[in-house]
Amino acid sequence: MDKTSTVSKKGVWKKRLMQNYSILVVILMLIIFTILNPNFLNSSNVVNLLSDSAPLMVLAAGMTPILILGSIDLSLGSLCSAANVMILVMMRKVFEVTGNTYGSFFISLIVTLAAGTLAGVLLGVIHVKLKVPSFIASLAFMSVWSSAALIISSSSVKLPKALKVTSDWYKIQIGPIGLPLILAVLFILGYHFLLTRTAFGRSIFAIGGNERTARIAGIKVDRYKIIVFAINGFCAALGAMFLMVKAQSAAPTVGDSFTLMTISAVVAGGTSLVGGAGSLLKSIVGVFIISIIKNGMNIVGVNAYWQKIVYGLIILVAVAISIDRTSRSRVVK
Amino acid sequence: MERKLLFSAKNITKSFYGTQALKGVDLEVHEGEVVGLVGENGAGKSTLLKIIIGVQPQTSGEMFMQGKPFAPADPMAANKEGVGMVFQEQSLIVNLSVGQNIFFGHEKDFMKYGVVNWKKMYEDARKVLEEVNCGYINPKKKVIDLNFATRQMVEIAKVVNMTKSEHGDHKCLILLDEPTSVLNEAEVQNLFKEVRKLTAKGHAVVFVSHHLDEVLEISDRIYVYKDGENAGNMDIKDATEEKLYEAMVGHSTTTEYYHLADQRKPEEEVVLETRDMGVSGVFKHCDIKLRKGEILGICGVVGSGKEEICSVVCGDVKPTSGEMYVKGKKVSYSSPAQALQDGILMIPMERHAEGIVRNLSVAENMALSNAPLLSEHGIVLKKKVDEQADRWIKKLRIKTSSKDAELISLSGGNQQKVVFARALASEADIIILNHPTRGVDVGAKEEIYALTREVVAQGKSVILLGDTLDECIGMSNRVIVMKDGLITGEFQADADEKPSQVSLVTLMM
Repeated sequence: MDKTSTVSKKGVWKKRLMQNYSILVVILMLIIFTILNPNFLNSSNVVNLLSDSAPLMVLAAGMTPILILGSIDLSLGSLCSAANVMILVMMRKVFEVTGNTYGSFFISLIVTLAAGTLAGVLLGVIHVKLKVPSFIASLAFMSVWSSAALIISSSSVKLPKALKVTSDWYKIQIGPIGLPLILAVLFILGYHFLLTRTAFGRSIFAIGGNERTARIAGIKVDRYKIIVFAINGFCAALGAMFLMVKAQSAAPTVGDSFTLMTISAVVAGGTSLVGGAGSLLKSIVGVFIISIIKNGMNIVGVNAYWQKIVYGLIILVAVAISIDRTSRSRVVK
Repeated sequence: MERKLLFSAKNITKSFYGTQALKGVDLEVHEGEVVGLVGENGAGKSTLLKIIIGVQPQTSGEMFMQGKPFAPADPMAANKEGVGMVFQEQSLIVNLSVGQNIFFGHEKDFMKYGVVNWKKMYEDARKVLEEVNCGYINPKKKVIDLNFATRQMVEIAKVVNMTKSEHGDHKCLILLDEPTSVLNEAEVQNLFKEVRKLTAKGHAVVFVSHHLDEVLEISDRIYVYKDGENAGNMDIKDATEEKLYEAMVGHSTTTEYYHLADQRKPEEEVVLETRDMGVSGVFKHCDIKLRKGEILGICGVVGSGKEEICSVVCGDVKPTSGEMYVKGKKVSYSSPAQALQDGILMIPMERHAEGIVRNLSVAENMALSNAPLLSEHGIVLKKKVDEQADRWIKKLRIKTSSKDAELISLSGGNQQKVVFARALASEADIIILNHPTRGVDVGAKEEIYALTREVVAQGKSVILLGDTLDECIGMSNRVIVMKDGLITGEFQADADEKPSQVSLVTLMM
């Protein structure tokens, strides 16, 4: 604890509780779903739940700093869809030509990650240099990438038998936790370190808090924003790979619903949509909230069509409780 | 002839974040009178007008309109009582038509069955415009397509109409805040003609302007404000430009206040030079030389171009002409980050908009401009960030509950000290101080002055845009005077031979 802090111990606890309310939500969710269906906490479902959350974790890693900047990316899901079909279609093509199993996987992975990063740079440059609001620019790209996904493959594609071996790593378990989740969490922790301990990362908070101040103070605002968007594109592609390996197939619309889920997860974790505040560690918790709700609703038997209503409500509730309504001068558009 | 008192304000005070913008001023306006209001930037003229029109409430004091207590909650309420204002920053909605703007908020008068009768509105708008000799303006035109002078006339027409329509027989008070700054000579005369027409009918006008000749021409009586206090109230027959200047400028510089004993001669080396620099439409032909260890003051009224020169030097705005040299190297910056690499950093004037990040801690706010100094192998060390914060909190006596407190929890003066600490902790050796003491109390001001002396003693150089003329002269080694985007004068300001404020003011206005 901070030695110089003058806040009383009780005050500190209260503040910590407020800051980490999302963990309480997780516990509450676990209790509710266990009461509704005791099978919720049995080991196979927990394993399932944890491994299911890996792709969302990767996507949330990309989205969190975007929201800290005060920007948003609505094209994340459709970019993920496009990358999802791209990687598998390419794997099949490369395999046809070379006959190399792992070679085709890694080549396709690297090219897809590069393509995702490039897509992120493109969005970032258009947003930053042409001053198009990220909301609008990414809305446009949402349409572009979902179309691109359908052009790459208009129907779902299966992972051929000969290539199935490349997806074996996804099933490796270390205790109850699968390798994909471990990789996703390691990735998020790495990004968290970057965000909290480097000049680049700390600048993201300053830019999100007050972009003019950051600029006048000599921070490379434009460059840093573009980098955050580039990493977000990279995450979309990485998440797409996770989804493909997990399903052992690809579909041109598989990522679309993830835009809403990712934003819900990040916001439920406690990152502000106004910018300037948030944390990737909180997003880990947020991802678990969404995963538990998704899994819990399935196990309790809630129709899948109803689930999106819940994600929508989560965004509304989380924003409504966290937003600062005290400032009279704040104009909400 | 004794005129009837129309409006009076008594002992009005206003404080923002603990600093007093108005320390108890009075204003009396009689029917049919034009009252001029003059004073330096920050003297409190605009603050008072905003209180009268209901944009912000006073901290204490009372106002009366036609003998009745007057405390408008917003400009609409003030209009209803017969008080209207033409704002310094224009308040027209540019994507609406002239007619829509004139009758903005009064559309009901043209409604029938819930539908606006546009034809009648535009006919009436034409009449209103003709009344202020602006029949040439098409009321159907969008405001965005008009030039600034025309917009100003529309704004005046709007206010005249607003106060007239609801008070056919009442007497109105119309506040004009810098109405002539965008008008040409003929338009100014046109405006004066309109003002006289209004006063002939018994209405009264308060006229605020930096152009003293205009104030002298139109006013019946002139108030002078200085540092939020009354500094004079003269009848037009007693007023001259010299007398007004004297009242505006007031007391003379004190030696201790600005630490004149510590003022040193700068070195010969020129660290920054601009040659024929300009930004089209804002300032031009700007030649400035800044020497090592020098404090260079730039003064001028709002709109003189001094702010924009700072924006260009600190890399925020690209010049459209001319060249800039920093330490002998020709430079062209596209961002403040590039300027910082050459050691240039600005403390911005608008602290809330450009100086601070509200939700970050004191320590984080101090560390915005010098990450490399606080890092090892690309990792920012929390220990160094904290040490830096502790050091500056102690040195500048910043009042904060902790270095981890959110910056917004500090008072304005302490926030400004944090911004100051950021600039001093950075590696910048050319520091632009854009109103460094704005909104800072007297004690903190003196500390900032002492610190500025210390900074130049270390061989750094400072460009200073003083919050007052007094400050600018008192602190600087040399002062440049600007007017309408041009440098109009340059004064040596050695410790024992400071130029007089009057000599500068005459070149500013």
